[in-house]
Amino acid sequence: MRAKLILASSFLFLIVAVLVFRAPEAKNDSLTTNSQVSEGLTCQCGCGLTVANCNMPTCSFSVPTRREIDRMIGEGKTRAQIIAFYRHQYGEKVLSAPTTEGFNILAWTMPFIAIALGGGMMVLAVGRWHSSVPSNSKQSEKPTSFDPELRRKLEKELEERK
Amino acid sequence: MPQLGNLALAIALILAVYSIVANIYGARRNAPDFIVSARHALWAMCAMVTIAVVVLWISLLRSDFSLEYVAAYSSTTLPTVYKFTSLWGGQQGSLLFWTWLLSIFTSIAAFQNRRRNPEIAPYALAVLAGVAIFFLLMLNFVTRPFDLLATVPAEGSDLNPLLQNYWMAIHPPSLYTGYVSATVPFAFGAAALMTGKLDDGWIRSTRRWAIFSWFFLTLGNMFGARWAYEVLGWGGYWAWDPVENAAFMPWLVMTAYLHSVMIQERKDVLKVWNLSLIGLAFGLTLFGTFITRSGVISSVHSFTQSGLGPYFLSFLITVTLAYSALLIFRSKQLRSPAEFESYLSREAAFLFNNLMLVGIAFAVFWGTIFPVLSEAVRGVKITVGPPFFNRVNGPLALGLVFLMGIGPLIAWRRTTADNLVRSFAAPVIIGVATGIVAAAAGVRIWYVLTAFSLAAFVLGTVLVEFRRGMNARRHMVSEPRAKALVNLVAKNNRRYGGYIIHIGTIVAFVGIVGSSFFRTEVKKSVHAGDSFSIGSYTLRFQGLDATDTPHLASATARVQVLSADGREITVMSPAKLFFKRPQQPATKVAIRSTPASDLYVVLAGIDDNGNTATFEVFLTPLVFWLWAGGLMMALGTVIVMWPNVRERAAIATALSRSTTDERELADIGAPGGD
Repeated sequence: MRAKLILASSFLFLIVAVLVFRAPEAKNDSLTTNSQVSEGLTCQCGCGLTVANCNMPTCSFSVPTRREIDRMIGEGKTRAQIIAFYRHQYGEKVLSAPTTEGFNILAWTMPFIAIALGGGMMVLAVGRWHSSVPSNSKQSEKPTSFDPELRRKLEKELEERK
Repeated sequence: MPQLGNLALAIALILAVYSIVANIYGARRNAPDFIVSARHALWAMCAMVTIAVVVLWISLLRSDFSLEYVAAYSSTTLPTVYKFTSLWGGQQGSLLFWTWLLSIFTSIAAFQNRRRNPEIAPYALAVLAGVAIFFLLMLNFVTRPFDLLATVPAEGSDLNPLLQNYWMAIHPPSLYTGYVSATVPFAFGAAALMTGKLDDGWIRSTRRWAIFSWFFLTLGNMFGARWAYEVLGWGGYWAWDPVENAAFMPWLVMTAYLHSVMIQERKDVLKVWNLSLIGLAFGLTLFGTFITRSGVISSVHSFTQSGLGPYFLSFLITVTLAYSALLIFRSKQLRSPAEFESYLSREAAFLFNNLMLVGIAFAVFWGTIFPVLSEAVRGVKITVGPPFFNRVNGPLALGLVFLMGIGPLIAWRRTTADNLVRSFAAPVIIGVATGIVAAAAGVRIWYVLTAFSLAAFVLGTVLVEFRRGMNARRHMVSEPRAKALVNLVAKNNRRYGGYIIHIGTIVAFVGIVGSSFFRTEVKKSVHAGDSFSIGSYTLRFQGLDATDTPHLASATARVQVLSADGREITVMSPAKLFFKRPQQPATKVAIRSTPASDLYVVLAGIDDNGNTATFEVFLTPLVFWLWAGGLMMALGTVIVMWPNVRERAAIATALSRSTTDERELADIGAPGGD
């Protein structure tokens, strides 16, 4: 029981830790480079890539957008301001990740909720199996002869080494 | 010629239908003649699909533009190798290719099981034939590869320029092989459910198929990443595009399956879980195909969008419902008297490993479908791109890497605290030391420090395992170290091949982390003779060379790369390509790869006179190790699959000395079966 509690609390801790310390984005937010801003925007040409990643030489969206971003960075605008500008122009679909408001919260939380639920169910199932083990079977027993059970295990070993 | 292709596909469909009827009738009525006949029908089906494939290949090579497919995906100027690969460059051809692979794998499975698994094999082959029927119906009635044009054009439209790359010659076949071969273990799982033969026989019969599928899914994902790296020209290799995700999800689930079946084989538990995982893996291969072809979610990789989406979705739903119904129907029989002694055991580590793998697969699935969900619920179209997937999967990947280190060193059943300390002391020290060294070297990002520490910890655990095994061998048979290492791997190939896969995974993980966090880039417009710098490199633009062929025109820049001390390292040749049919520009990047970093040069633009060129240059650390890790994973998988003849013979001899029936042993040890 104690082990189960420890495991369950460790698991919860892991989930909380994951939520709190989500992996940072690859680049520092204070840099405000073109690629950092364009990573946050989705190309609207239909390629489905970010503006940073769309490398179609004649793309009607990513090419002028990257130029425009350069201009805005030159004017001293921050990443958040530039992204807000494009969101205002094109709506939410221009952002490369869901916002953390309203229905979109589900996008961010559901994977962790699912893992927490799966982990909880696993701990329950394992607990049931654990309690069903007869106490004498928890002792390690040495086989005394080449009995059918050992033979079955040996055959399994043989199969495993195929 | 096209009529021959159509006829072959029609006959293949009839044969597939017949094989289902004959297999099921033969199995239910215990009529071996029908089962033999069904098997022959499947081989004949494979022959018919092969004829259709050959006909299409010949038509592509001969530029027979009377065929709509050839006119749409080839041209007289297309290089021969790409005429060959055009088979999977378009909708109908790729479906035909898929069906061909399926028919080959079905035939091999039928051959392997001609004297084995008499109770479940007919049902498994019927399931395989059922899947083939779906594809053959598509090819015969919905998306026909041999449709003729009313007016034959003088020239074809050509293959999409993005697909005219050597990685495209091997990436789709690898991925398709991985996808399609997953059908075999799925079919045997479904057959086990249908017949009620729910022991681990179906797993043993299809173990090699599952590893084979995983091997090709690994290669397919790696080749696809390399293709994106070389062709798309943005300096990266993975953009969490829906089609990339669709290839990644079955790989994750298949990885989970390959670990969890070990628990079933050892402990006779997790039957429902394993059957669910293999069903999920197969379902995800269909989901991937649905995404690629439906256009429901836009993707840079969707070269074959069509109206096939509803058919694939219907098939996916039907398969999911039928398989779930079977699982529910057999749920009582699938319960087993489970024993679980301790959370400090390898089975517990494997369970958590499964949780992480399936969790990541779910996160990827969720992110992939969330835009559709958002549009359905809120009426607002949103995008779920790399920032989402990196943030959600980043921490989960750390958890998974941690468990990769725990699993190998922890014992089955239970481990004592003393054992834990003894086993993990050295790997923990290696991990912590790596973190300290990385911090001392100036790394300040907590994710990178944790990732490098965990990677070193896992490598430490694998090294400890190899050292233990070598010492044991040297103690037993007094071998020198090198020989002990070779024999250790050769005699326990499944186990140590697995460890080599782990090493490859970790090496690739380090490459991913390094290349994601420390990439630098420079964009410069320069005149001929001008220089600019990135990292310790100086790049000097020397000029442009133009070429013109009937197929494409190109402008290639000569870029001299100099080291910090002014020494010439190499001359790189990034180019702009202008395909003439269809008229489409493309980029040919130049890459100088070293273990430390890749110098990646893109010719982003040229001014009208050709005097000025704009370059986009990326310096990406450690990306080399991603590809190296992929190779190690492939090598490890080959070692795992390699038949261990000597060991099997030794065990068989040992068994035959006991009261064992030799004939029974010969059956157990028969090669080629699984």
